[in-house]
Amino acid sequence: MKPNKLALLLVCVSALPFPGVVFAQVDPGVRSGAINGQPTATPMNPLPLASVSSKDGSLQFFQNGLVRFQDVESVSNSPTGNNGLGPRFNFNQCSGCHSQPAVGGTGPANNPQFQVIGNGIVSSSTNTIPSFITANGPTREARFPFFFDQFGNPNTNAPNGGVEDLFTVSGRSDAGSCRLPQPSFAQAQATNNVIFRIPTPVFGAGLIENIDDSTLLANLAAQARNNLGISGTFNHNGNDGTISRFGWKAQNKSLELFAGEAYNVEMGISNEIFGQDRPLPGEDQLGSGLPANCLNLTRTGYPEDTTNFSPTVTSSDPFAVNASIPSDVVAFAMFMRLLAPPVPSTTTPGSAASIANGRSLFGAIGCATCHTPTISFTQPSNFTASLGSTSAPVSVNAFSDIEIHHMGTGLADNVSQGGAGGDQFRTAPLWGLGQRIFFLHDGRTTDLLRAIQAHQSSGSEASQVEENFDSLSPSQQQDLLNFLRSL
Amino acid sequence: MQTPLSRCTLLLGLSLTLLPMAQGVPQSGGDFSTNAEAKKLPTGVILVKGAWSSASDSVTPLPEGGRVVKNVYSNPYFGLTYELTPDWTEKYTGPPPSDSGYYVLAQIRPAETFKGASRASILIAAQDLFFTVAPAANALELVNYNKEGLNADYKVEQAPTMVRIADHSFVRFDYASPVAELHWQVLATQIRCHVVQFVFTSRDTQLIENLIQGMNKMTLPPEAGPISGNGGGEAPVCIRGYARDENVLEKVDPVFTERRFNPVPVRIIIAKDGRVKHIHFLSAFPDQAKAVTDAIFQWRFRPYLRDGKPIEVETGIMFGRAPRRATSSTNEAVSE
Repeated sequence: MKPNKLALLLVCVSALPFPGVVFAQVDPGVRSGAINGQPTATPMNPLPLASVSSKDGSLQFFQNGLVRFQDVESVSNSPTGNNGLGPRFNFNQCSGCHSQPAVGGTGPANNPQFQVIGNGIVSSSTNTIPSFITANGPTREARFPFFFDQFGNPNTNAPNGGVEDLFTVSGRSDAGSCRLPQPSFAQAQATNNVIFRIPTPVFGAGLIENIDDSTLLANLAAQARNNLGISGTFNHNGNDGTISRFGWKAQNKSLELFAGEAYNVEMGISNEIFGQDRPLPGEDQLGSGLPANCLNLTRTGYPEDTTNFSPTVTSSDPFAVNASIPSDVVAFAMFMRLLAPPVPSTTTPGSAASIANGRSLFGAIGCATCHTPTISFTQPSNFTASLGSTSAPVSVNAFSDIEIHHMGTGLADNVSQGGAGGDQFRTAPLWGLGQRIFFLHDGRTTDLLRAIQAHQSSGSEASQVEENFDSLSPSQQQDLLNFLRSL
Repeated sequence: MQTPLSRCTLLLGLSLTLLPMAQGVPQSGGDFSTNAEAKKLPTGVILVKGAWSSASDSVTPLPEGGRVVKNVYSNPYFGLTYELTPDWTEKYTGPPPSDSGYYVLAQIRPAETFKGASRASILIAAQDLFFTVAPAANALELVNYNKEGLNADYKVEQAPTMVRIADHSFVRFDYASPVAELHWQVLATQIRCHVVQFVFTSRDTQLIENLIQGMNKMTLPPEAGPISGNGGGEAPVCIRGYARDENVLEKVDPVFTERRFNPVPVRIIIAKDGRVKHIHFLSAFPDQAKAVTDAIFQWRFRPYLRDGKPIEVETGIMFGRAPRRATSSTNEAVSE
C-alpha cells in the first residue's frame, strides 16, 4: 500500500469511534452584517436611543459625547487642548479600547495597546510592552491581587487589587522630567500575581442605570425558585447603600462614576470626581505618592478635566453650545447613557429556527436564571423617552440580573471590589455578544464554547447549568451557540 | 585643595547621578519586585474572599461541612449519609452558602470510568427556612412554591407528591423541558429547619429512577420529613424567631464599623442555660463575624423548656441588611 493511501485509511479508521467530532458544535464567530444589528450604524457612529432628538438637545449632547469619546489625549501640548494624560495610563483614547463593533463597544481585533511605541504614544526608552499585551489579543488592564513584600514575594496578607497601569508618560516630549518605572509585570506573571480585565461594552448602559432597585430585588426573589445551585446577591454603593451595577464586579453605581474612574485610572486624567493624578496602588498606599516632577504635568492645575465655564463650541444651535459646557466625564456619561442597545438578529447565524430553538434552550437549561433576558422595565427617566417614562417604561433586554455570583476557582481573580469577593462577578450582560471578539473578564478566549465551559469549576454557582449544557445534543448546543451569536 | 566652586560642582554632579537612580528601578515592595526567584502564588485557589461562611468553633458540624469520602456523601450536621452509585463522583464542590441561606451541599456526576450511555447529575442542596426569601415555612410549601414559579419552558410531569424513601417521607416533584429533552426530579425533605433537596437531572428517566432507588440506602435522622424536620433528638430543636425580645434576657448589639450593606445571616445554638454555645455565619465579612461574635456571646436567653426541662435550641438572626422583597407584582422579572 502506498504511504498516502495508508495515511488516508488511518485517518478514516481513527475517525470512526468519534463521529461526533466531525459534526461537533462550533462557535459561529463574530456575527457579520449590520453593526449592532442596526443597518444605519457605522463603526464610528453608533446609534443613540430612538427618542434622542435635536429638538430637546439630547442629540447634541450625544454627538458631543461621541466626539469627546474619540479624542486623543496628550500630556501637556495637545493642539486641541486634550491634555492631562498620565503620568500613568493604559491608553490615550476611550474609543481605542471601546471600539468593537463600534465606538462604545469592547476591545478590537487589532490591539492598539500593542502599538503604543510604534505610534509614539509612549517612549521605548522608558516603556516596554508587557508580554500579555499582544498584537491580536484583547485590550487589557492589569491588576496585582497582592502587593509584593520587601523580598519581592507576593504578600497574601496585603491585598492589592488596584489597576497597575501599563505605561508611563516618561520620555515623551510633553512630559517634562517625569521619570516613572512600569510595575513589575514580568515578576507578577512569573508569580501568578497578575490578573486582567477587558473593557465592558456600554451599549444600552443607560437602561441598566435606569432600573429601580426594587425591580432587581424582585428578580432576585423570583430567581430563588431555581433548582440549579444558584443564589446571587448584589454589590452596593458604599455611599448610599443602593445597588451598584457597572464594571465586572458591579462596583460602580452610575455611568458618571464609571466614566470618572476610567478617565482617572485608565488614562490618568484627573477630573471632578477623582481630583488627583493617580499613583500606582503601592505608591499610594505604601509609598509616598507620585514624585513632584510627575505632578501637574499640564501646568494648568487640577483637575485636568473640568466643567468648561465658557462654551468651547460656537454655533447657532444653543443646544450644541450647551453640550460643550460640561466636563468630559459628564459628556462621556451622557454619551453612554443615550447609546442604544444592540439589536439581535433573528436569522443569523444559522437560521431563524435554530436561533429560536437556542433561545428556548438558553432558558430551559438555566442560563436565563442569571443571564435574565429581560429585567422588567426601567423607571421613568428625566433624560429621554427611550430610557422610560411613566406611561411607557422600557424593557431592558440585557441578559443579566446585575447580581454578583460566585464563579469558582476557574474564574476567580482574587480581587475584591466593594462587596464582591475574589470569586464573585456581575452576570455579564449578553446583549451585543454576537459581535464581541473576546470573552470572560480577562478576555482569555475568543471561543464561545470555551467561555461557556469556564463557568464550571469548584465553587461556581454555574456548574450545574454548565452540566446541563453538556447534556444537550451537539445540534442543540449548536442552536444555543447560534442564539448567543445572534445577540 | 577643592575650591567652593569645585565642591559645589561635585555635589551637583552627584545629585544628578543619584536622581535617575531614585526614580529608576525601585526596590522590591508594593507594585515592584526585583526577585527573579520569588515564590509563586497557587493557582485555582480563592485567596481573597468576600462575605463567606465561618463559625465560632471548628468542632460543631455545619450544613456546608458534608464531604464525599469513599463514595459516600456524609453530612454530620444533617445526620445524613448517601452512598453514591459506583462510578459516580463529586467533581466540583459547590459555592459557599448564600446570604439568603441557600447551600449547594454536593454535585454528583458520572466519573470518568462511568460506562453508561446516558448522563445525569445529582444536585444536593439545602435552603435554610429561617432566611429564605420564598414564602414557605416547610419543605412541602417550598416545593409547591417552586412548582408555581415554573415558566412555560417546562412541563410538570408529576405534581408535588408524598413518597417514602429510606423509611422517611419526601415530597417528590417531576418536571421536564420538552425542548431540552431534560427531566428534573426533585426529592425534598426537611431537617433542622432546612429544606434538603436531591435534584436529579437527565435525559434518561430510567437512569433517574435507578438513582432514586439508590436513595433507599440513605440514612436520615428521625425528624426528617416534608413538614416536620424541626430538630430534636441528638440535634437541638430549631425555632424560627426564637431570638425575639421576650426570650432575650441580656443583649449587646454588634457594631459594624464598615458600611457594607450586605445581609449577615447567623444561626446560633443556645445552650440549656441560655448562653450562646455556637455561632454559624452563613455569609459575613471577617470584621462583621468578629463584631457579632463579640456581641452575641454576651447575650442571655430564656432557656427553652420542653416537658419542663431545658433543652438546646437553634435559631436564626439576620444582622446587617435583610434581603428586601419585591413590593410590586407588576415588576416581576421576565424569564425565558
